[in-house]
Amino acid sequence: MTDQIAAAGAAGRKRWLNGNRRLSLFAYLLVLPVVLLILGLVAYPFLYAIYVSFTDRVIGNDGQWVGLRNFQYIAGTATFQSAIWNTIVIVVVTGVLKLGIGLGLALLVNQHIPGRGIFRSLLMLPWAMPAFVAFLTWRVMYQPIGGGINLILTQTGLYPHVVDWLGQRSTAMPSVIAASVWRGFPFWFISILAALQSIPNELYEAARVDGANAWQRFWNVTWPGILPVVIVTTLLSSIWTANAFEHVWLLTQGGPSDATMVFPVLAYFGMQTQRIGEAAAVSVAMLPVLAILVIFATSLMQKDDE
Amino acid sequence: MNDTQSTLAGRWSRRALVRFAGASGLALAVAMAALPAHALEGKVTYWGGLIFSEAANKLLVDTITAWGQANGVETEVVMINQNETVQKVSAAVASNTMPDALDLNLDLLLLLSRQGVFTEVSDVYDAVGAANGGWFPSVAATSDLISAESGRYGVPFGVTGNLILRRNDLLSEKGFAEAPATWQELADQAVAVTASPVFGLGLALSNVGDGNVQIAVMQSFGGRVADDAGENAAIKSEGTRAYLQWLKDAWDKGAFPPGVATWDGAGDNQAYLSGQAAFIANTGSVGIAAKTQDPELYDATLYSPLPRGPVENVNPINMQFRAIPATSQNPEAAKALIEHLYNPEFLNAYYQAAIYGPVLNANKDFAAFDGSDPIKSGLLGLTENGTAPAWPDVYNAAYADIYTNYVIPKMAQRVVIDGWDFDRAMDEAQASAQAIYDKY
Repeated sequence: MTDQIAAAGAAGRKRWLNGNRRLSLFAYLLVLPVVLLILGLVAYPFLYAIYVSFTDRVIGNDGQWVGLRNFQYIAGTATFQSAIWNTIVIVVVTGVLKLGIGLGLALLVNQHIPGRGIFRSLLMLPWAMPAFVAFLTWRVMYQPIGGGINLILTQTGLYPHVVDWLGQRSTAMPSVIAASVWRGFPFWFISILAALQSIPNELYEAARVDGANAWQRFWNVTWPGILPVVIVTTLLSSIWTANAFEHVWLLTQGGPSDATMVFPVLAYFGMQTQRIGEAAAVSVAMLPVLAILVIFATSLMQKDDE
Repeated sequence: MNDTQSTLAGRWSRRALVRFAGASGLALAVAMAALPAHALEGKVTYWGGLIFSEAANKLLVDTITAWGQANGVETEVVMINQNETVQKVSAAVASNTMPDALDLNLDLLLLLSRQGVFTEVSDVYDAVGAANGGWFPSVAATSDLISAESGRYGVPFGVTGNLILRRNDLLSEKGFAEAPATWQELADQAVAVTASPVFGLGLALSNVGDGNVQIAVMQSFGGRVADDAGENAAIKSEGTRAYLQWLKDAWDKGAFPPGVATWDGAGDNQAYLSGQAAFIANTGSVGIAAKTQDPELYDATLYSPLPRGPVENVNPINMQFRAIPATSQNPEAAKALIEHLYNPEFLNAYYQAAIYGPVLNANKDFAAFDGSDPIKSGLLGLTENGTAPAWPDVYNAAYADIYTNYVIPKMAQRVVIDGWDFDRAMDEAQASAQAIYDKY
């Protein structure tokens, strides 16, 4: 009797663990470590940061739940309002410029020109250089006295006056943007170049046979071919730029007079006051902006798939 | 027994015996004081503050190690870059991995002592002070800031603060032989020597710690960050207006080097070392750098305290402390070690290598402060004449928040960069400061 029950149980388990289910279970087991890792390293800190932003936590004290108080405080400061606008400006303007430069160079280097391998390598150098070195070099170049840019302008007679590039409201943001674009365009360049090389040559030949001119070939063949890559690159680059700290910190520390203040630098100032709750609130306040970017880019990608 | 013997025996039995007993007792007391109250054991982990001087860092490590060997205590010394102390200590507090003793600055000590992170060390403070002729008044006043009803949580060991460094070669050419006594004199001298690429006033106006020297200037003109109780912002005042007028006048005359509104922490160092600034406010590290990198500049540099203003003479000092976390597994040994680090032999050598002003009256006679080194003499002057941090304001958590949010340098930027009128700039700073005070 007992043997019969045991045999029936084993048969039931066997039926439940049929081939497909066993395979699925095995697959889940395989991905489980990665899922746990992601939960531990990404989800937990992310959710914990959101929690901390609702507390008055300082170093050495876990603090208490304060609701929206941190957000109300930071939203009322002029510096925070500057940070919102400046972050949007930097993300949008650098994105457009990096797209233009990256696309232009990718189209150029995609042609059969002599030494294009060397050009490709050289164009990747700004991205390969450590950000710290790159932006400190830019800082030196921007120096009013002895800086390379002023030397070139004054000695060539292009502009006779010394310009305090980082120290004036009118030039500080364009200077930060220029340095950021220089450092970031290679990522766009290499991504778009890879997309260009995946477009079948037959499409261009067919377009030529149909009498399409260069612009029409670009608009009807090249652009649709690289659009998915451009969208993904835009998404990634925007998120990186919005979260980037070193370009502003090393060039201007958010000044002069908050002219280049952005969210990550503001959050760093919050950390300096050792008020962890407020610093977390600044970081969390960025989330809606980034979420809009992600949703926008994702919907575009889905539309493109359809 | 002859007469002599009987006389000696008679003296020995009375006065001599009393004297001998007294001297023996004193020697015994000194010996007992030098030794720990009871045998030390276990391990002490010490986080020392890494400073600009290799020699000073090595001396600290060697002294702690030697003390451990002499007292049977295992020691581990970890030197922490002072720019990273906040991050390291924050992580250690959160993860309950604080050392047994550490060096840290006033701001962090003030914040963490209120959170119950440190153990009380009044006994060490009192003993060290009593053994060394007492603490300098400015040091004692600053230490009082971190004392609570339950006692003191740190023992000071070094004074830092801003000195005015000036290019004597350039200034003497223009007939200025003496250090500027007032901020107005300083501005006048700075304007007189300004001729691009040299600019007179190398004072940072940016969002970095150096920019906060503007608070002292503002206070010298009668401006205040907050009221006497330290509870409400009081930036908008005639004193602040006078300060802004002084600033704008000097700015309009071109005395500030270009870029001061975005200088990083090394901006004034670089400007002075490259010969672009005739005056800077600095802790003395620039002088040390000049000594090795540019001896000519070093010889041409003179040091003086911050000038006085029309209302106050504000020379804020800051201090480094040694403290013992409440989580220390070996607080008695940590206390004994800290007390040992005030022995004259070590401190005499340490001050010669480090860039700190003295803290104890007895330290004044050390070789480092004999007048042969102008930087050390300047630091001694700062200790002797300096004012407690924030004075005439109240140093509290809200003031520290104002300090790290660069409210006053930002107000200065509004005037000189954005061209705002004084009222508008003061209104914004006042509102910003009040919002901070309201949080506490």
